[in-house]
Amino acid sequence: MFQKKNPFAFNAKARMKLCGMLCLVAPLAIGIRLFYMQTFLHDEFASKAERAIYNYLKEDRLRGQIYDVNGNFLAESVRTHSCGVNKRYVKDKAKTIAFLADNLAMTKKEVEKKWKQNNNFFFVAKKIKPETYMQMRPVLRSSLGQGLELTPEYERIHPYGDSAIDILGEANSKNLGLSGIELMFNEELSQDISKRRAKRARRGEVIYDRSLKEEKSVGSIYLTIDSLAQHYAEEALAKAVADYAPEHGLILVQQPDTGRLLAAASYPRKDGQSLSFQFTYEPGSTFKTIAVASALDAGAVSITDSIDMEGRKWEVARGVTVRDKQHEKEELTIPEIMALSSNIGAGKIALELGAKNLFYYIKAFGFGTKTDINFQGESKGYVPPYNKWTKVDTATKGYGYGISLTPIQLIGAYSAIANGGHLMQPHLVDRIEYANGRVEKKAKVQKIRRVLKPETVETMKKVLEHVVLEGSGKRAQIKGYGVAGKTGTAEKLSKEGGYAKRHHVVSFCGFTPIQDPRFTILVVLDNPAKYTFGGTAATPVFKQVAEGLLAMYAIPPDQPENLKSDTK
Amino acid sequence: MKIFLMVFLATVFAFGVVMMRIEINRAGREIGKLQNEVEIKEARNQYLELENARLSGPLVVDQIAREQLKLQRTKPQNIVVLED
Repeated sequence: MFQKKNPFAFNAKARMKLCGMLCLVAPLAIGIRLFYMQTFLHDEFASKAERAIYNYLKEDRLRGQIYDVNGNFLAESVRTHSCGVNKRYVKDKAKTIAFLADNLAMTKKEVEKKWKQNNNFFFVAKKIKPETYMQMRPVLRSSLGQGLELTPEYERIHPYGDSAIDILGEANSKNLGLSGIELMFNEELSQDISKRRAKRARRGEVIYDRSLKEEKSVGSIYLTIDSLAQHYAEEALAKAVADYAPEHGLILVQQPDTGRLLAAASYPRKDGQSLSFQFTYEPGSTFKTIAVASALDAGAVSITDSIDMEGRKWEVARGVTVRDKQHEKEELTIPEIMALSSNIGAGKIALELGAKNLFYYIKAFGFGTKTDINFQGESKGYVPPYNKWTKVDTATKGYGYGISLTPIQLIGAYSAIANGGHLMQPHLVDRIEYANGRVEKKAKVQKIRRVLKPETVETMKKVLEHVVLEGSGKRAQIKGYGVAGKTGTAEKLSKEGGYAKRHHVVSFCGFTPIQDPRFTILVVLDNPAKYTFGGTAATPVFKQVAEGLLAMYAIPPDQPENLKSDTK
Repeated sequence: MKIFLMVFLATVFAFGVVMMRIEINRAGREIGKLQNEVEIKEARNQYLELENARLSGPLVVDQIAREQLKLQRTKPQNIVVLED
């Protein structure tokens, strides 16, 4: 009765269902995979698609300019390109080498040499000028250009060569400040432009997006340095180096009433290494000015006092003798002590003032403290605490030993005498001007403190003028102009201990015109190969710079009577 | 007929969209090229400005004045300041 069903018998409906289900498996699998990809691998694929369609333009880093006080370019970044070769992708080596040699002003041998020296990728030339770039660019799209790359980079150009490079410092091809002002103000000078999106076309051309404009906030720096004053200083220093072959040398020029630095020349000239801030030395006799001014200001001595020279051989303490070989007088007045640069006189004055008071004045003049310029590597010098000074220490400090200072500190102290007794905040940067029009004023005239009474200042001006008229500073005289200053010839510490008799630091620090001082100038020559003195080597350098500045700024003579008498 | 019209309009619309995309790409490419040229010209201009700055700098002017024009730097005493 029962019909046996053959399970394998043809059943179209079932087979249809089976086939349908089998057909669905693949789309289902694809669907699941797609769901997985869309949900869990979304980011990865989105970025892949982005990379395929879009090109990310690295806009590198913008960098502002550096100007002198008059708005002359001192440093500016120019966009250049470097040409690289990826040997693996080059199709025709001979043709490529010929093309590179023709366009990059190189010989084929030079290109071949680089080719052989490097494994795969190498730069053939850097800092390619725009004209060359324009010539080469179309070729890069042809088969000849395969394997060649033109990478954008920046060249920091200094139109005045290496003038003031010790102050300016360097920036690299990626527009990053490495030293000097470039490093100090790297944040203000540079602006990172974020990566920008643009479409990439068939041949690698870039299709810019419309909304690519980005507000620039990069700043340009205006220094207080005057490029012409800097030129005068560098020229005078070069001459001094040629004449006396010192190990180091520097000239620093400051406006005494504002504290602004007009020039800062260093030898050797290395980027970002300004000796005006980084060089420390025992000043020797130029420091007598500080000791004498302090003693006069404190009332420890009077300008009319005469000081016993002890037969020019003064035993400060047992076994420690100070000698004066430059004169034969038994007594010296204070102007004479300064004019003849008497160590005995200065030492006795320092003792008269006392260690505590001298220390107070030294600190008040700004020694042993960094200036707020904060130049990279600026030193603060060294002033030992007065409670550790012996009698000998106090006396030697009177003539500039046992203390180390920086040129910027010493010029600040002389400027205080020149400007009526105020220690001024020195300035190297005048202002920062941002691309959005904002101006940040940096060189505001700032009196740090009064260090000398006005009457002391007037006395000291006469004393220092006497040094130039009658004493060791005669070679600094300028016809028609009052010059005040002090020479210095300090023995350097010897490696063997004590002081080296043949190794000196010669210097002169002074200001002019006396009636209304406009420039304080410091000249320092460290260890001249030729045996010399501050009064011989440094004073003519001062005179050369001062004459240049007085003429440049058209400052009329403050002592025209001297002019007339001389011209007769 | 209606369907035909709709298909026709859709085709025209799609064609328009495609043409617009092509035109945008072309214009973008053109802008890119021009922008590149502007950058190059700006760089060239910058070089010229800097060359101008170099030539008018104190070192060069001083050298030319001394060597070619045989001039000497004047002393400050010789300068006459004219008053108003």
